[in-house]
Amino acid sequence: MSTSAALPNDAKSTSTLPEQAGVLVVRKHHFLVRWSHWLNVPILLGLILSGISIYWASPIYQHKPDPNTGSFDVAADIGIWICAHVPGQHHYSSPPDWIYNHMSLGPGMLALALRLHWLCAYSLMLNGIVYLAGLIMGGGWRSLLPRRTDLLDALRMFRYYLGFPFAKLARRHWPHPVFNTKYNALQRAAYFSVPIAGLLSVATGWAIHKPMQFHWLAALFGGYNAARVWHFWLMWLYIFFVVPHVILVLADGWDTLRSMIVGWSMRAERSEVVANES
Amino acid sequence: MNHNENCDDSLQPKDKPSTNLEPKQRRAKLPKADSEDANPPLPAATENEKPAAVEAITKQLIADRSPSPSVGPGPQTDEMATVVAKSVSVKTPQSFFGEQPLPALEIAPRVLRYQSRRDFLAFGAGTLAALAGAGFLLPRDTLSRSGVRRNMDSAEKEWFLNKALRIDDDVAEALYSVNRSVPTYTKSQITPLKNNYNGSTPDPGYIPGWKLALDGLVSGLSISLDIRNLLTRFSVHEQITRLVCVEGWSAIAWWAGLRFDDLLRAHPPMSQAKWASVESSVNLDASGNPDPYFMSVDLATARHPQTLLVTHFNGQPLTVEHGAPLRLLVPVKLGLKNVKAITRITYVAEEPRDYWAERGYSRYDGI
Repeated sequence: MSTSAALPNDAKSTSTLPEQAGVLVVRKHHFLVRWSHWLNVPILLGLILSGISIYWASPIYQHKPDPNTGSFDVAADIGIWICAHVPGQHHYSSPPDWIYNHMSLGPGMLALALRLHWLCAYSLMLNGIVYLAGLIMGGGWRSLLPRRTDLLDALRMFRYYLGFPFAKLARRHWPHPVFNTKYNALQRAAYFSVPIAGLLSVATGWAIHKPMQFHWLAALFGGYNAARVWHFWLMWLYIFFVVPHVILVLADGWDTLRSMIVGWSMRAERSEVVANES
Repeated sequence: MNHNENCDDSLQPKDKPSTNLEPKQRRAKLPKADSEDANPPLPAATENEKPAAVEAITKQLIADRSPSPSVGPGPQTDEMATVVAKSVSVKTPQSFFGEQPLPALEIAPRVLRYQSRRDFLAFGAGTLAALAGAGFLLPRDTLSRSGVRRNMDSAEKEWFLNKALRIDDDVAEALYSVNRSVPTYTKSQITPLKNNYNGSTPDPGYIPGWKLALDGLVSGLSISLDIRNLLTRFSVHEQITRLVCVEGWSAIAWWAGLRFDDLLRAHPPMSQAKWASVESSVNLDASGNPDPYFMSVDLATARHPQTLLVTHFNGQPLTVEHGAPLRLLVPVKLGLKNVKAITRITYVAEEPRDYWAERGYSRYDGI
């Protein structure tokens, strides 16, 4: 914000500021939070790729072998279906491996996938500690805690997202609900539950990795086999989180994406609870 | 990232504040902020925290602020010399759990640009490092499918991945206790156990002439035991435990046999022995050729009361599919350590060869 202007909205036009004027920024993310956030990208990617390769060795979703294809693995069935129906895939050499060739390190490399999985799993645990340290040191954990008003606010956000495409098509003004908090209720729900999912992934991971020494942990999730199912679906939770997460960050604008790299945001007015629509 | 950025008053001017920042103008801004605070848009009223008013603007001048180690060389520190930044303190909120307004800071654009450049460079370097790491660690087949034709396999890569594997083995070894039992099950919980010979199932012709050879004993002798010998001299223990395969599947089965610990007591290994090499010479590969199977088992695990040398499966003598006439059952380890059709046990001081460790799997395999 230019100091010569009293209007907080001017904070958005900083690129043309004179050299010596002060810019009002807010600290949004502690640097440990930022680093651990980005480190999650390669670590989770490595875990998912190697994890699906491990899944290949003994799929949890199986059926009696198909008389035509011999397939007993639902993931292989999907690959066979894709090769039969998706244009350009008709001549794919090994249809049952399609999923594993596209979503994992590949089939038949269990030993390597396990080694990579352990490497990434220990990295994820260390990274989780760094993230928690950043949340505590920067005080950011307070912005993630659920509130009593969250349910109603989440419904308002749902309404906003549902109506947004129609409003755009109709060229109607469709204001974003206003919150005087760092995150809206839906964001808070997501950013609060993903670290908990991470904790559950680690717990189910240990439960299936050490099912004898940690048999009580496996029992907590319904036994060894159930813990494998948990572990599998927790992976999907990250995928279901990441897709809208990336889309919404890009939609929200450069300031939001940049703030996860540099730590500060130009949207200083929010911290002073002026709560402009953003 | 410069750690200084994260404390409120970190960005202090090196010499003097800019003359552009007139206190009057800053003051002029405050009532405006206050007036908007007093009249927040409707949703803000539902929040339990009060709109925080800008309470004070503190301007701190610290003349001798030395650049942090992450700040680059000469020219950049010159730039830092003209830095103007001041923190804008806000009223601290009510409760410990209540959300606090984000710390606001007034900062010179030049500093902001400098810091952004540094952070983006660090971010870019991190991205490149991650890509290089992926190229380094991913298997060749995966890379070639994504269009990378270069052979990235190297001794360093093996060393690095094996390091992760050894750390995990050390964790597993630390978790093991001879006094901690694995869960046991009832007969109603038994699940089918298929023939999991990795290659072809051996011809049962070896069974009548079968003998167990023991080497590395304290006596210095090499002894040979037949199955009747084992079954009459040792007490038989039964257990219904889970067998867990490295592939992820598992089976609950009913086993009976003698304790490995009892064999160790009856025929003690040499004093410096820490390992047992458990071998099956009748193992075959997928095309039916001899493929001796050998596994390292640490003696601490061999002494676990639930580590059995099994002779019976589901109340019947072992069939050839399950490793007749004697197989190892070590429920605190992965299934691949549970050697079928054992023909020789050798006690050694150094960690012996291990069939699956030589194929990239872990050595200790404790679960």
